[in-house]
Amino acid sequence: MKIAVSWLKQYIDLPGTISELCDALTFSGIEVEGVKSLAALPDTVITAYVQEASPLPDSDHLKLCKIDIGTHKLADPSILDSSGMLQVVCGASNCASGMKVILALPGTDLGEIKIKSAKIRGTKSHGMLCSESELGISEDHSGIISLPEDTPVGISPNAILGLPDTILELEITPNRSDLLGYYGIATDLSASLNEPIKPIHIEDIGLPKSSLGLSVRIDDYQSCPRYTAQVFEGIKVEQSPLWLRLALGKSGIRSINNIVDITNYVLLATGQPLHAFDYDLLQKSDPADQAPFIIVRKARNEEIILALDGIQYNLDCNDLVIADGQRATAIAGVMGGEETGVSTQTKSIVLETAAFNPSAIRRTSYKHKVSSDSSYRFERHLSPWALDKAQSLARNLICELGSPEAISEVIDIHTTHQDRRILGIRPCRFKRLIGFELSDDEIRAYLGKLGLEFISFGDYQADVSDIAQIHCHHAEEARAGKTEFTEAPDCIHSHFYWIPFQRVDLEREVDLIEELARLAGYDKVPHKLPVPKIMDRHGYSIRTNLEDYMVSSGYYEVYNYSFEDPTRIKALGFREDDQIVNLINLINPQSANQSSMRSTLLPSLLGNLSYNLNHGERDLKLFEMAKVYLRTGQAIDERMILCGVSTGTASPEHWLHKTKALDYFHIKGLVEQILDLIGLTMLSKKPIDKPYLVSSTGYSYRSDNKEIASFGMMRPDMLESYEIDTITLKQDVWTFEFDVQAISELTKETSTGYTNISKYPSVVRDLSLLLRNEHSYETLRQAILEVDPLIIEQLRVFDEYRSDKLPDGYRSISLHLFLRDTQKTLTEERIERLVDSVLKNLETKLEVIMR
Amino acid sequence: MDILPHLASEEKKVQETLNEMLQQAAIDIQNCNTANDILNAKAKYLGKKSLLNSLYSRLRELQPEDRPAFGAQINEARQKIEAALSIREKDIKTAAWQNSATIQRDATLPGYANERGSLHPIKIIQREIERIFMSMGFEIAEGFDIEDEFHNFDALNTPADHPSRNLADTFYVEGGRLLRTQTSTVQIRVMEAYPPPIKIISPGRCYRNDKPDPSHSPVFHQVEALVVDKGISMSDLVDTLQIFATIMFGKDVKTRIRPHFFPFTEPSAEMDISCVVCAGQGCRMCKHSGWLEMGGAGMVDPNVFKMLGIDPELYSGFAFGLGIDRIALLRYGIPDMRILFENDIRMLRQFRGDSL
Repeated sequence: MKIAVSWLKQYIDLPGTISELCDALTFSGIEVEGVKSLAALPDTVITAYVQEASPLPDSDHLKLCKIDIGTHKLADPSILDSSGMLQVVCGASNCASGMKVILALPGTDLGEIKIKSAKIRGTKSHGMLCSESELGISEDHSGIISLPEDTPVGISPNAILGLPDTILELEITPNRSDLLGYYGIATDLSASLNEPIKPIHIEDIGLPKSSLGLSVRIDDYQSCPRYTAQVFEGIKVEQSPLWLRLALGKSGIRSINNIVDITNYVLLATGQPLHAFDYDLLQKSDPADQAPFIIVRKARNEEIILALDGIQYNLDCNDLVIADGQRATAIAGVMGGEETGVSTQTKSIVLETAAFNPSAIRRTSYKHKVSSDSSYRFERHLSPWALDKAQSLARNLICELGSPEAISEVIDIHTTHQDRRILGIRPCRFKRLIGFELSDDEIRAYLGKLGLEFISFGDYQADVSDIAQIHCHHAEEARAGKTEFTEAPDCIHSHFYWIPFQRVDLEREVDLIEELARLAGYDKVPHKLPVPKIMDRHGYSIRTNLEDYMVSSGYYEVYNYSFEDPTRIKALGFREDDQIVNLINLINPQSANQSSMRSTLLPSLLGNLSYNLNHGERDLKLFEMAKVYLRTGQAIDERMILCGVSTGTASPEHWLHKTKALDYFHIKGLVEQILDLIGLTMLSKKPIDKPYLVSSTGYSYRSDNKEIASFGMMRPDMLESYEIDTITLKQDVWTFEFDVQAISELTKETSTGYTNISKYPSVVRDLSLLLRNEHSYETLRQAILEVDPLIIEQLRVFDEYRSDKLPDGYRSISLHLFLRDTQKTLTEERIERLVDSVLKNLETKLEVIMR
Repeated sequence: MDILPHLASEEKKVQETLNEMLQQAAIDIQNCNTANDILNAKAKYLGKKSLLNSLYSRLRELQPEDRPAFGAQINEARQKIEAALSIREKDIKTAAWQNSATIQRDATLPGYANERGSLHPIKIIQREIERIFMSMGFEIAEGFDIEDEFHNFDALNTPADHPSRNLADTFYVEGGRLLRTQTSTVQIRVMEAYPPPIKIISPGRCYRNDKPDPSHSPVFHQVEALVVDKGISMSDLVDTLQIFATIMFGKDVKTRIRPHFFPFTEPSAEMDISCVVCAGQGCRMCKHSGWLEMGGAGMVDPNVFKMLGIDPELYSGFAFGLGIDRIALLRYGIPDMRILFENDIRMLRQFRGDSL
């Protein structure tokens, strides 16, 4: 919903800035979806008088105007003609002599339009007479703005146009029909900003009583609980005054004529839709009838109505219509009919102010795919008993702007009148539900500002029975024997309030609690639960992820004692001064082979391997996630380590897929995939050099020269003491290790982020190359990638072989080159060029030969 | 061969010719077995040299008023052939993928799956315990295995001459430190580092100088729970225990606490759950008592709070410790604690399903 701040200010003082207003709206539950500033017009836009407007020769619509700019001082007075008038050519159809207008002088910058002196059809024109749309006030470009006759000439029109102004786009939640008008929003703001609301002023009108009769009947009270009608006789239908047109324009509604504009104005002001019929076009049901009829009834099947939007609707018996004696004259609550609409010929009108059942309106609006400002509001439920203010306001405006000769009484047909609802609220219940306290006074003040009328304090139970004869939700619950109250016998102190009719959403105590919480501010809700502060969640997930990865790779987790035989650790062959052999010994071990805290998990795991090999198992993959205990000076470092050992086949034996023995590339793939997935791709790699591993059968992955991970093949002689005979077994034993603690520290700051997927296809090119034996694949890879790392997405080796038939000192490597540009499709030419430069680079750098 | 010398005059003959052609086409199309056969049939009956095509080109010879009727006949024949071809084509395709999808080998031979390992049963139980407590808002706190006497004994209100400090009960390492005998040490570490409110569990390794036997191990695993806040009462303790036991062992399990003594809790209690083997009826597992011991518990002793600078008038808390290995034995029906540390792969393999 679009609202102009200038209009809002008629009902409430808004001392703060626009951004404070937006905050107040947002935090009280009215979301501001957009803010549009209407800036003040520059000094070169002034009020002016059209002295003379005559048709421009050679043109069928342009007019040549002599414009009086009063005492305004022009920057360039030479553009005035000899009589002191300014010559302006204007194309607006409503431009006429004697009009007060708004003139943009040459040099004015209106954003999209820049005004200059120009020649139009050979005639000089010094400025532009402006429409609302040209000034950015509204969408209306049907004609130039006509100012009131008493407007002084040569002054800034800002004050007259209500500029500067701000237009807010508000989202009203569907439960709050009371906020679908300026006055409702002002009321809500008055509570959240603690500013008094200025009442809408309504006077009694002393006009003669009209002799025009009208019969009104409601056939379906379910769909239309109340219908009021008032006849205005002898009115003038004409253009609305400027203030009215501007008010509608800023809220996005087009001006039609004074009567239609008044109904729209009252709709915007109060949220209550109204409709005006041309009285003389309403038919009697029988020529003998005294007066025309208005009947609220269900449409007849296949009844047809031409609505004001120019569309013909085929109605059926589920649609509610307003009919005269003969035919449907309006789709009730949705849109008036074209045939009985108010036009400049209209002499007398019937003003309809009614209430319709929300689901009836929603059904019709949905079925016929027609929605209007009126149906939008009725669908959200307007109380039948809240429409009187809108009716009176419209009556006053019609009397003021339509000059009726006489008016009728208000004909008011309705179902049984309902009294206002009474609701009670217990302050202690508020505290219990929301978490902070409001005093009795604060509660009264907030609810009072919303228009809830305080009745009395009392005890929850006692008072509901006292006022049980009125419509009180609690009373009904109490009578129904619900035990809600007995749970809180200490919580009976209550306030009781009359609920205003327009607040159809306030039905229960909890609704009042919500209102109070909203107005006091959700930011006041206290925090109670502690914020997690102790757990190392990152470390925890690294650890469990690694465990799960190992399990999914076929590894079994083992649990060993933290004790170790010091001779087994020393046998690994570390230097005397290595941290690993500087063991922490137990003073009272149970046995000598459990006398040290283990500084490495490897001996335990080799023990497990040996145990299982001795039990006839050949293919083993084991890992342990446990602490090692290291001495660092006087301190003790307990580090979480993941260590694995494996031997035998890489995958279980299967009749279809031939299995292979675990080898260097299996273990390398496992270790590097973990590092890669965890985000540790920048580690430096050194060939493995550990006393118990066969040299260069693995790598050490390091960061800041500290080992993070490693792998390699166990030296067969190291396994003898574990009674593992790899020679007889004909299988190697592999081991790998991750410093889980170091990994978790290194990855603390990294997080997975999404990269947009290129919508351009990738292209694959195969390269078969001869690479010198002394050059590694890694150097080849680098030399390829460096050519264009943005386009070369991936390399994949699919073959490597050596043969006598190849040139001496060379081996063959074949790989797929995956190319992709994230910006556009790669052209054949570009691919060609890229592959050429890759080959050139390989040739010069590595003496690679293309096969 | 000119089969249509006089189109106009021999309408009947044309119809017969068409019918003959259609019959032959039906046979030919039915005999198609490959995509190529279909192409050939298409060329023969619909192609440039086909009968239909020659009929079309000779329509011109007719009187204008006769053309529609003839045209319609030819069109009908054409549509029949096209329909038959498309049905046959689809059949051939279907037969092709049907055939290629048919398992050529003995379908009862075993399938292939990636090999999966298993977590150790202690880890499976520990993770489950962690999950249960994390869902109740507990955090996990870490501690040290190698502790000092202060955190393992003094701060836990253990008298200097308490027998549990003996070499026969506690492992000591060089430099005056010891291997923690319980995870309660983490209580102290956490309360030293963080002000209340505190809500943690701390799973980890503990050490006691026990000879390994079916129910003892010098290395074992505990999980400690500690909750400190204003207004924590024993009622929070029994609730937490019951919630844990219900999720861990099922909704029929009952819990109870009974008086006991620990230096660092006052009042202290032993926690029992109704025997999950015999549902409280009495069996060998529960020594015919109907109850199984779960661990020690109690309200944090005010002395412990005072030592850590927490005002015991303002704050209260509960703590308890559960044996993870014990729960693993119970859960899986493992008869001997030593089995857990043997790491026999035939034992480990049994838990692959619980590690998924």
